[in-house]
Amino acid sequence: FRYTRNLVDNGNGKFNLMILCWAEGHGSSIHDHTDSHCFMKILQGNLKETLFEWPEKKGNGEMSKKSERVLRENQCAYINDSIGLHRVENISHTESAVSLHLYSPPFDSCNTFDQRTGHKHKVKMTFYSQFGERTLC
Amino acid sequence: LPAGLSQWFPALEVLDVSGTGLAELGAELLALPHLHTLLAKNNRLGGPGSLPKGLGEAPLGRSLRVLNLSGNRFAEVPPALLGLRGLQSLSLGGNRLHGIPPDIQELRSLEFLYLGGNFITSIPPELANLPSLSCLVLCDNKIQSIPPQLAQLHSLRSLSLHNNLLTYLPREILNLVHLEELSLRGNPLVVRFVRDLTYNPPSLQELAGRTIKTRNVPYAPSDLPENLVQYLSLASNCPNPKCGGVYFDSCVRQIKFVDFCGKYRLPLMHYLCSPECSSPCSSASQSSTSQSESDSEDEASVAARRMQKVLLG
Repeated sequence: FRYTRNLVDNGNGKFNLMILCWAEGHGSSIHDHTDSHCFMKILQGNLKETLFEWPEKKGNGEMSKKSERVLRENQCAYINDSIGLHRVENISHTESAVSLHLYSPPFDSCNTFDQRTGHKHKVKMTFYSQFGERTLC
Repeated sequence: LPAGLSQWFPALEVLDVSGTGLAELGAELLALPHLHTLLAKNNRLGGPGSLPKGLGEAPLGRSLRVLNLSGNRFAEVPPALLGLRGLQSLSLGGNRLHGIPPDIQELRSLEFLYLGGNFITSIPPELANLPSLSCLVLCDNKIQSIPPQLAQLHSLRSLSLHNNLLTYLPREILNLVHLEELSLRGNPLVVRFVRDLTYNPPSLQELAGRTIKTRNVPYAPSDLPENLVQYLSLASNCPNPKCGGVYFDSCVRQIKFVDFCGKYRLPLMHYLCSPECSSPCSSASQSSTSQSESDSEDEASVAARRMQKVLLG
């Protein structure tokens, strides 16, 4: 019912390599990357990436969009916290999408942001499956 | 599609004719008694006769479980498919639908309904009569309000409403205790207290009725004209749990902000017996401080906390 995160390799603790599966209409929240490098490659379909500025410390207004683009099959993207925040979405109503993500160092929690207010909220990230086995929790 | 399809492949279970430019799915499909999945995305379906007549009664009509018609040109939900009583999954995403027919409730077995990416402006309350619906996708439409009856979808686990024209939600949405995912981003949800300006002050009859009810003034049918006895029996209780008031015709719609799992404030619409009502309204006080900006713990907040992953993002 929402996009799934499927861990493929944990690189001896140095990185997390995972495959994300996005059904039609699925999107992520606006999130940061907990001081890690994040590489993304589209394996199937298309994903829209919208970049946002970090909200002001005391900000209480709508977050401001920096840019947006549609990433096609085989295209790559990179982000880290100094670049900004982003939302990734499969905006297709007919095709699912699959992306490959590399995070280094690995992290299991990040902040999600409310686009209307800039308020952030820490969330734990979970895996739908790891190394081909379904993760139940 | 070739006319001999059901004779050559009588055991066919899955058929994918997506992206083939088909303008109609013909009668050659009707005699496939084992076909449970039919994918016809990204074609030119949508005109009259896109689906074969008699679909509901045919062997195909009984076997079909999954039907994907996304990325076509349907301007209305084709009536032919409303007879598919065994259908579990229906997608009409990315078409040209302007509405949802009330007869959608005929799809008794439906669990998954994808209607994202159309031009739908409103949702019929009959949608709530689908007993097995667990995933409802209505994102990227032009929906302005959600009927409170949708709270009757007890099996609903995922509700996608992002990118619509919603300014508030009905309070009843908190009754969906099994809801695990709710997406609301990209809606012009009101962020400040909004008072309905069309509140009509109560009539003298209403004020008298309220007094009789709240003070338990005794009366018998012989004391009053029959029409007033009838009127008094129609009193509604003010939904504010802290208020013992009643109302008849005159109520105020109010937006109340509810904290969702301590994360986001959602504007929910509910009815109160008067604009001053949010705390016990036995005292007709003049103070009309903005009640909803600082919501304290109440039933609504408790109910909201029961809902889990809210993807307001």
